[in-house]
This record gives sequence, C-alpha cells and structure tokens, in this order.
Amino acid sequence: MFLKKINYWYISSLLVTLIVAIPVSTVLLSSFNFSFEYLILLKNTFLLNYVSNSIILLFGVLILTFIFGVCSAYFVSFYTFPGVNFFSWALILSFAVPPYIYAYSLTAFFENYGTLFSILTNLFGEHEYNKHIPKFDGMLGSIISMSFSIFAYVYVLARASFYFQSHNLIEVSKNLGLTTKQSFFKIILPSARPAIVVGLSLVAMETLSDFGTVSFFSISTLTTAIYNSWLAFDDLKTANLLSFVLLLFVFIIFLTENLSRNGAKYHQPSKGYRPIPKIKLNGLKSFSIITFCSLLLFFSFIFPLSQMLYWTIKFPKYFFDLDIINLNINTLSIVVLSCFILIFFSFLTNYANRVTKSKILKYLSAFSISGYAIPGVILGVSLITFFAWLSDFLGSMFNIPSIKSIFIGSLMGLIIAYFVRFYSLAFNGIKSGYSQINQSIDESSYLLGHSKFKTFTLIHFPHLKNSVFLIGILLSVEIIRELPLTLILRPYNFETFATQAYNYAAQDLLEAAAVPSLFLILWASIFIFITSKYILSEK
Amino acid sequence: MCNKFLEIKNVTFSASKLNKIKKVSFSIDKEGEIVSLLGPSGIGKTTILRTIAGLQKLDEGKIFLKNKLISSNNFILEPEKRNIALSFQDNSLFPNYTILENINFGVKRNNNTKFKYSAEDLIKILKLEGLSKKFPHQISAGEAQRVSLARSLMSKPDLLLLDEPFANIDQSLKEELQFQIKKLLKEINITTIIVTHDSYEAFYMADKCGILLNDSLKQYDIPYNIHHEPNSMEVARFLNRGVFVNAKVISSNCAVHKLEHKELGIIEGKLSNNFPVGSGVKLLLQPEDLEHDDQSSLKLEVVDRKFRGTNFIYTLQTEEKEKIPVFVHSHHIHQHKLKESFGIKTPIFIDHLVCF
Repeated sequence: MFLKKINYWYISSLLVTLIVAIPVSTVLLSSFNFSFEYLILLKNTFLLNYVSNSIILLFGVLILTFIFGVCSAYFVSFYTFPGVNFFSWALILSFAVPPYIYAYSLTAFFENYGTLFSILTNLFGEHEYNKHIPKFDGMLGSIISMSFSIFAYVYVLARASFYFQSHNLIEVSKNLGLTTKQSFFKIILPSARPAIVVGLSLVAMETLSDFGTVSFFSISTLTTAIYNSWLAFDDLKTANLLSFVLLLFVFIIFLTENLSRNGAKYHQPSKGYRPIPKIKLNGLKSFSIITFCSLLLFFSFIFPLSQMLYWTIKFPKYFFDLDIINLNINTLSIVVLSCFILIFFSFLTNYANRVTKSKILKYLSAFSISGYAIPGVILGVSLITFFAWLSDFLGSMFNIPSIKSIFIGSLMGLIIAYFVRFYSLAFNGIKSGYSQINQSIDESSYLLGHSKFKTFTLIHFPHLKNSVFLIGILLSVEIIRELPLTLILRPYNFETFATQAYNYAAQDLLEAAAVPSLFLILWASIFIFITSKYILSEK
Repeated sequence: MCNKFLEIKNVTFSASKLNKIKKVSFSIDKEGEIVSLLGPSGIGKTTILRTIAGLQKLDEGKIFLKNKLISSNNFILEPEKRNIALSFQDNSLFPNYTILENINFGVKRNNNTKFKYSAEDLIKILKLEGLSKKFPHQISAGEAQRVSLARSLMSKPDLLLLDEPFANIDQSLKEELQFQIKKLLKEINITTIIVTHDSYEAFYMADKCGILLNDSLKQYDIPYNIHHEPNSMEVARFLNRGVFVNAKVISSNCAVHKLEHKELGIIEGKLSNNFPVGSGVKLLLQPEDLEHDDQSSLKLEVVDRKFRGTNFIYTLQTEEKEKIPVFVHSHHIHQHKLKESFGIKTPIFIDHLVCF
C-alpha cells in the first residue's frame, strides 16, 4: 500500500526531471557531429570573434554591476540618510526594465535627432548638437544597458548579506583600532563575498544568455550566433555546437559559484543575532551618498521609463494602432498559466520529497533545477531539435502523424520551455517555505488523525500561501521579461509585450516599441513593488 | 495473545545505526496507568515514543495495543490510524492556527464519552488563560508545551505519549502543573507514557517507572522499589543518590541482616539481595541513611557542605578516603564547618540494605 503511494510521487518527479533534462542532453548529443554548413563559414573567422565579444561583454558587465550593486547595498545597509528606506526598495525597480528595453531607451535618447537633441533644441535653440552628443551603441551600449538593468542581482544579495552580518565582528574590528574604511575592506566585504559571488554569477548567466540587447546593438556573441544559425541558416546542428560552447561557459560560472558557496556558512545569522546599528550621516557625506543612490535610481529605472513614456505621449498613433487589450491578455494569460503549472509541480515534488524522504527523489529534484543555467536561446533551439526528433521517431516507428505542431509554435511548447527555465525558482521558493515547517508538525497532524492529504490542505498550504504568492510574483517578473524563448517558441501571431517591442525595434521602429515596453515596465514594476515590500517586511 | 493494555515485546528501537536500545520488553497492564521512562539525554527515549506512535519503524520485536498488533519488523499501522497522541518536546504547534484552534485540531477524532473536558477547561487547568487568540510564535516555549499537551488530550487518545512535558517550565509552576496533570490523567483514565530525565518527576507522576541506561531497559518497577531497591550499581549510580562503601556480611537471618564497615561499625537492616555470611559487598549509602548525633562517639571529618534550602548535605571522609553524604535539616541547632568532626548516631539501622 505504501509503495503504491510512492509511485505517484516518483512518476511526477521523474517526469519533471525528464522534461528539464531534454535541453541539456539534446545539446550534448548533437554537438558531436561536425558536418555543418554555417560552421564552415564561421569556423576560422567568426567563432573567435563571438567568444571574445561574449567575454568582453561579460567582464564589462561584471565590473559595473559589482560597483553599482555593492556600493548601493553598503550605503543602505550601514548608513542612515534622508530617503534610505525609499532607496532600499526602489533600487530593485531596475529589474522591471529588461536590458533590451534599456538599450532602446539609450539609443532613443542619444541618437542623432533623438530625445537629447530635442531637449537641447528646445532649451537653447537650433544648433548642430548631434556632433557633440555622445553615442552609446555597440559594445559600450550593451555593457551599460545590461549593467543598469541587472545590477540588482548583486544589490539584493549583497544587501541581505550585509544585513545579517555579525555586529560583534564589526565591533571587535573597531575595538582593535580599524577605521570604518579598513573594517569595510577587511571584515565586511570578505564576509559578504559568497553572497556577492552568487549575485555576480547570476549576472554572468544573464549576460551570457542575453539576446535582445546584443542583437539590437549588432554585437555578435555566442547567443546571437546560435539564433542566427538556427533562424537564418536553418542549421540546428551548428546552433547546438555553439550552445555547447556557451554551456561550457555557464558550467565554469556554475562551478565557481558553487565553490565560493562552501564558505557561505560563516556569515549566517546565529541565534544571538543583533541588527547592526546604522551610522547617521550628515553634510557632504550624506549629500554624496544621496546623489549616488539618486543617480543610480534615475539611470536604471526613471530614465528608461521616462523615455518610453515620452515617446508614447509624443507618438500616440502607435498606442492606438496597437491591440493593447490583446497584448495584455496574451502576456498575462501566459504568465498566469505558466506560474500555475510551475507552482503546482513544485508543490508536488517538494511534498513528495518531504513525505517519502526518498534519496532517489532528492537526486531527481536536484537535477531538475538545473534548467535555470541554460540560456533561453539554447533552450528554445534544443527543445525544437528534440520535438522534431521525437516527431520523426514516433512517425517512423509507429506511423503516428507529425506531432511537431503540438509542441513547436504552440502555447504548450512555450509553457514547457518556461517550465524548464524557471522551475528552479519555483522549486527552491517552495522548498525554503517548507524548511520553516518542522517535521514534527506533520507528525503531530498524523497523530491527531489527519491523513497526508489533509495535512497538506490544513497545515502546509495555509502556511505556505504567502511564499506561493511571492514566488508567483517573482515568476511573473521573470516570464514577462523573457525574450528569446518566447520569440523562438511562441505560436504564430501570438505577441507578448516583449516580442512586440522586439519586433518593432528590429524594424528600427523604436517609437512604436515604446508602448509595449512601457506596459512591460509598468506590469513588472507593480510585481516588483509588491515583492520588494514583502521582502523588506520579512527581511 | 496477551491480555494487557500495551505490550512491548523484545523490541529494538533504533535512533540511528549506532544508537539503539535493544530487546526492550515491558507492559502496561491496565488502562489509565501512567508509566515513566527515565534515562540520560541522548539515549533514545524519544525514539521509543516515536516508534510506539508509528512515526518510526522498529528493527525487531512487536508492539501490541489493546491486544492488536500495531508494529512489528514487517508491519506498521499508520500513525493516523492508531489513536495514539504524542506531545513533542519541541514546538510542534501549527503556526497558521491560533492557540484555541490548535487545541481543537484533533477534537473530532473520536467520541470518547468518558472525556468530559472542553478546550476551555484544559486552558484553565494548564494555566493558558488569555492565550486563546494568540498564534504559536507569540507564546513562550513552556506555554507552547502546555498547548501541545492540551491538543493531545483533546484528541481523546487511547494512549498518550509525553516527551519531556515539563522541560521548559519554571520550577515554581512545574510542581503545580505536575499535580494538576496527574490528577487530570487519573480522572479521565488516559494511559500515559512519560519520558523524562528528571527522576523526581518520573517518581511523582508514574505508577511504574523504567530505567534506560546504555542500550537497554535496566529496571521496570514501581518508583518506590526503583529508589530503594535498584537492581544494579548502574541504576543506583544513575539515580545519583549516594555512594558505595566496602562492607562485610557478618550475620543473616530472615528478618535482619548485619553488615560491618571498618569505621562505621555494625550496620543493621534488610538485605535486598542474599549474600552468604563472610562475603564482601558494596553497600549503597544514601544521604538519608545516616543520622547526625553530636553526642555520638563515632565521628568523621567534614570535607564538604552543600546548602540545599531545607537541608544541608555534609560530605564526611573516612580514613580509607571514602566520602559519605549525610542529610541534616537546616533548622538543626548549629552548623559544622569544614575539617570539623561530625558525629553519627549509632547503632546504624537502614531499612533497605542495597548491596552488590
């Protein structure tokens, strides 16, 4: 009887793991075959270029996000100055602006006869301003766009780590005669290192998997190469080989992150934890820090938001041309549906792990969260490869008519892709909620005569509903921003804010891209606002 | 088939691969009896309760409740079907329910008509007034433990298992609660097993008491016998009530036995175990066994003095360097200082001569 119950859990967890395993195994299996057309074209000339561009972009973004993220986190964690509470959550709003939309704003503002040109003309009259306005495009534009829109990964993690730092250590360092600056470099920064490395590795993965920004600025990186070889040359094999190279990069980052986590123990809050008393700032110091935080907030969030708002107002034609209601329905329905499925399966596997305590289930779920490390472009291409293969296989073996249309260019395929990509977020979120419920609470419920299912409905679900809400919101932000996967796998004529904005931008219609971009930013801001308030109240 | 309320037959309980309590057998004959299991921390007392409750499998042996097999090495009745309540030592209250909702959580489990108490009654008895609408994180550890107990009681179980029920409760409240809970358990006639490391608590609460030491159940008897007639030096040492001194059996008849100690002289009493005349024994001397007498010619040197509120415990040293504890009421006319000589009343008579 007991074994029967286990089987359901095994099957569901196995299913989840198998779905997530598809992209990795497809890439690995396909990358051993070397006779492709596009590869020959790029072999001696471009591959090196792709790799070096990816590396330059990666390091540029890492340096900037480190400076933005760590400095702002340090200021809001250790000092009080006017607006500190506002900044501590408002800086997270930069998440609402995806890098590709930031890129559109940056170009729109600085381009010839762009927004800055209009402002200057209005203020000082007509003049040849275009010569003097700096141009942020190409690699520099990509690095700036990416850094401002994803520095919050470093900010959030560094802030959490600073918040939980041992007050005693800081007091001891001061007692031993270290100045504030010395104790920052010798005590605070080293003990927050693991958290910062985790933040930077998330930044690295986002940067490597970015498609929208680099393709907009025409920078050839591994991601654009994968997309082009698939779309322009219809060469899935090359796409898979390039994906293999990119996955190697991701794997190295993954490894670095894991190694650095080993040291993460020593800065966890202990029972006798006391929050660090903040230092009150006045005068010039306070002014400089407020300026820094304000500029960061301005450049990361207010600037792109205003640019999009400005264009929407300036070119109302595009607003009325666009089927806004339909876009809203499309985007929100896919977000809600995906969230529901992700949370449902995360609950199922987490609950299975808890009830059965099976080691095999634990390993399966550990593997199934690897999906988030796979860049969206690779995921899209490899899912298509897999479904095409499956369809051919089923067709030749069992004479089943093609099933490609069920999975490729369908909502089902898109949701499966989101599932693979974001499953780790949902699974880990529910897992951390579950870790707060003592095992003896379940046992008490059984002993009071309640079945496992009733324990779930009466105890677990009500207790976890806040976590579920929070995870739902976080997933929504991620899904609403997601571009390459949606672009590759969406059904024909099915547009979301992200794809609509991309389509217009790709046709050089930046003014038209403003409306969907604005809606995307607004929705994401609402989600982030709720989340950041929640996180701050929970600390 | 036995005719006992609960029977534990040759059961090996495993807390972990290395930590096991082997071949435990004991039974509760009648419904409503209270049994306490006493042992040092970490021996696996909680494992015994968890196994009886069905939360853990057993390695070997069988457990019967009301003549029905509930656990063996190849069968386990699920915990929700046993009607056994376990009140955990740590806080296992449901965090999303109020205290009152927690207490009433298992109330519909069965309709035991003997049980006449409502949640409100238990709240009063267990001194939880004013907490009904609070949530578990808003109350103290001791209060949480009492709520957990109330919740277990309200489910009207056949068997109640209490894991260190008074561990987090202040000394002043502890004694009153022990009195109230014992009265309550007897009134509603709920069979109970209490696990504790506190011998006073075990002796007070229980009709029978089991001593768990090393990896087995060493003694299972009524508390009086455990205290006065421990069946091994291990048990006596664990109860930590005295010292062993060397003595010799010099005469033995049915009613009274005589032992001789080099310095204390003749000690009379009733031997719990039989030893042939002339054999050397280890005699257990507990603090209340010897009496103080200033006039006595038998004197020993004071090497330590402990003030225990109502009494002093003087530690006396023999020439053989044996250290003997003696109780003296703290209202005794004078106190003795260290290195003073201290008189012991002779002849010495001890009710139970515990020898090994």
